[in-house]
Amino acid sequence: MPMKGRYPIRRTLEYLQKGDIVFKNTVKIMTVNYNTHGELSDGARKFVFFNIPQIQYKNPWVQVMMFKNVTPAPFLKFYLDDGDQVLVDAEGKDHKDISQHVKKILGKSEEVLQAEELARMVHSNPANFGPKKYCLRECMCEVEGQVPCPGLIPLPNEMRGKYKSQMKGTEV
Amino acid sequence: MSVKSVSVHAKWIVGKVIGTKMQKTAKVRVTRLVLDQYLLKYYNKRKTYFAHDPLEQCTVGDVVLLKALPERRAKHVTHELAEIVYKVGNVIDPLTGKQVAGSLFRETLTDSMENPAGSLTEKLQELNISAATREILQKPSEV
Repeated sequence: MPMKGRYPIRRTLEYLQKGDIVFKNTVKIMTVNYNTHGELSDGARKFVFFNIPQIQYKNPWVQVMMFKNVTPAPFLKFYLDDGDQVLVDAEGKDHKDISQHVKKILGKSEEVLQAEELARMVHSNPANFGPKKYCLRECMCEVEGQVPCPGLIPLPNEMRGKYKSQMKGTEV
Repeated sequence: MSVKSVSVHAKWIVGKVIGTKMQKTAKVRVTRLVLDQYLLKYYNKRKTYFAHDPLEQCTVGDVVLLKALPERRAKHVTHELAEIVYKVGNVIDPLTGKQVAGSLFRETLTDSMENPAGSLTEKLQELNISAATREILQKPSEV
């Protein structure tokens, strides 16, 4: 049974995670102005259709707004933290050109992204046990091949301190 | 207890003005894209903010850029008006700087008003000249 809608691949996690553009920390708002009809806006329309979900997935704290049929020419506008505004003309451009241009001017470079990933890996040691938020596992009983949780299955008597102390008492 | 002085998480916001009935305050609706977990599709989620507008320049329907105030001004007012991005009925195209309505350019009235007055007198002069030339042409033909 195929997925519903046109180009439902846009609605898969794999597609969303493949997004290229990760904005720099100063970019706060992204605004896309485009028209619903006309060939000049075609690239902008495709950009909104295909690339905006990827961008929003990778940048959850950036506000993305779309404006339709406000101005005759399509463009993108970015509002940065210092109050600066960046205007990117999108008239007649292809959606791939637009996304590459945006990545070049306001996206984090490959090296920065890899450095961040390394930092994240170093920060979180998978060998640690602790709350689910910070570590992979909470208790050794969760690992396959280890003693199961005594809350679910009672431990054998040799491992129970209560039984051992009882035996010691009765013997001596 | 310096938590409240940071005010809000969002420093800069773009939204549409929905109400100006309060004195020096604009009610702004901000839409953000939120992913539906099951459909994996983005939908607009609305939130209203109150913004301080000292000169009461906003009208309902303006698209507005808000800046977070360093300290909360009132119980609900957390932002102030930084810039009106698109004024309703008077949108200015940032690429050309001209007035725009939808996908067409608006020509301002002042330009079109000046020319008719000048062109009318010119047209009158042309008519006189053409009438004079016609008379001159007719007379030799008659004679």
